[in-house]
Amino acid sequence: MFDTVLIANRGEIALRVARTCREMGIRSVAVCSTADLGSAVTRVVDEVVCIGPPAPRRSYLNVSAIIEAARRTGAQAVHPGYGFLSEDPDFAEVCAAEGLTFIGPSPEIMARLGDKARARATMAEAGLPVLPGGEHPPEDAAEAKEAADAIGYPVILKAVAGGGGRGMKVVRDPRDLIRAFHETRAAARAVFGDGRLYLERYVESARHVEVQVLLDDLGGGVHLGERDCSVQRRHQKLMEETPAPGLDPGLTTHICEAAVKAAAAVGFTGAGTFEFLVDGTDFFFMEVNCRIQVEHPVTEAVTGIDLIQKQIRVAAGLPLGLSQDDVVPAGHAIECRVNTEAPERGFAPTAGTLTDFRPPGGPFTRVDTHGHTGMTITPDYDSLLAKVITWGEDREAALARMDRALGEFVVEGHGVRTTTGLLRDVLREPAFRAARHDTMLLARMLGET
Amino acid sequence: MSDPESEIVVDEVVRGAERLLRASPRPLRRIVVRSGAASVELEWPSAPAATAQEDESVPAEDTTSVLYVRAPMVGTFYHAPEPGADPFVRLGDLIECGLQVGVLEAMKIMNPVEANVAGRVAEVLVPDGTQVEYEQPLLAIEPAST
Repeated sequence: MFDTVLIANRGEIALRVARTCREMGIRSVAVCSTADLGSAVTRVVDEVVCIGPPAPRRSYLNVSAIIEAARRTGAQAVHPGYGFLSEDPDFAEVCAAEGLTFIGPSPEIMARLGDKARARATMAEAGLPVLPGGEHPPEDAAEAKEAADAIGYPVILKAVAGGGGRGMKVVRDPRDLIRAFHETRAAARAVFGDGRLYLERYVESARHVEVQVLLDDLGGGVHLGERDCSVQRRHQKLMEETPAPGLDPGLTTHICEAAVKAAAAVGFTGAGTFEFLVDGTDFFFMEVNCRIQVEHPVTEAVTGIDLIQKQIRVAAGLPLGLSQDDVVPAGHAIECRVNTEAPERGFAPTAGTLTDFRPPGGPFTRVDTHGHTGMTITPDYDSLLAKVITWGEDREAALARMDRALGEFVVEGHGVRTTTGLLRDVLREPAFRAARHDTMLLARMLGET
Repeated sequence: MSDPESEIVVDEVVRGAERLLRASPRPLRRIVVRSGAASVELEWPSAPAATAQEDESVPAEDTTSVLYVRAPMVGTFYHAPEPGADPFVRLGDLIECGLQVGVLEAMKIMNPVEANVAGRVAEVLVPDGTQVEYEQPLLAIEPAST
């Protein structure tokens, strides 16, 4: 086992990783930008290294600074969290070259699955159903048009290097395709540095269902059930729950088994998430996330398994210590993301100092947050302030508990707004309560359709 | 969320806000910058004139106190261009802005460290070959008397 782990991230996930390290008796090192000096994680780790100014490119995305920080502190492994460098195969490769263990899959697997078009082809080969789509990224707009016409409309254009719900465009009218292709390609080039796109049939109303898998280097592998992440705005998740409500358990079990089988077939190791669209009784592979996810706590709540601990164990070459029979999910769990955004102003991020911050507590209520009274939210980073997770013996109990918890949550500060009110509106929405919702729920509620 | 591409967009938007802030002749109450789906909103409780007054009340001797040359990145700080060579600067040397005062090695790349302050070297704060963090003080400099 590692003696020291460096956490190459910030915010709630850095704190989350540091806590498990402490519980495992592992020394932890936080890296921080000058904007995060004194942040919550810096107070629970054993050592802190300031790695750069607030701009992510010069701090949390600065490979050289992170590697030097690892060297300085004697860390043997790096936990990348989510976002930042977590899905960068080059970073994983540099870690290996410097004798550091990257806590995640191998760089080869990350490169293969991080390229969305390659991942699609790889998974189709491994036996997962995919939506009708192009075999390879089209060279130009004319080729894209030809492919789209063959697939049938609506189609979705996706950046090969995309992620986090960005770099996608739905085209409903064949006449819009050429323009959409040029626009999306330009955006993908600007944001991801890779303008390649691929096409797929777009499913208008579907459920977003993802499967958590865990595999070790020794041939062991399990799935930890599914998560339903259908409450989204512009492909950004706001709420996640497990099990997926209103779906046939036979279908979700089948999807989970197919995911872990495909993961094993391609040699995936560590913690990963296979994302699917579920349309009636059909399911289609979308993408794999080769990292821990924001919404992992709902899985932890129903399985009792610490996913970060398993990631670290597997990275250290230890066996998973779990067989599929050991994974017995109980009850229902839901997560709400409290973001410092103003829903009434197009979800604009808000910045400011928190004059009062009192997170909820109580039975079966977990809050993962780096927030505290006096903390200044700067516009340098994303707007996730807290994740509230509630568990109940059934969905109704979990939802009632969530409404109670969100009602207790006090976040005040001049100019600071949160998504809490909107989250409570969703909890009261009849279609959501009846589990008859799909990925368009929030767009309908907000009148954005 | 904190995925790299949204970080980059947010980064750009923040820099846009910074430019606006610098370009404004008067203190601002509110800035909103949008780029695609990303936007940033900054709001001040009142005009930031009060802080300027506080700055003026700082005792005069503080402006002549010790200045620091700080580490521009994480790495190993070396006093000399190579082992055994003379150091770039010694205690008591008079230095100017832009003068190389050391080397920071990061990922086997040697990066020159240049003084961004002028004055006399009052203290060398880290021994040769020390691993330093971002903005760690390396040299204490007494401003040259004018």
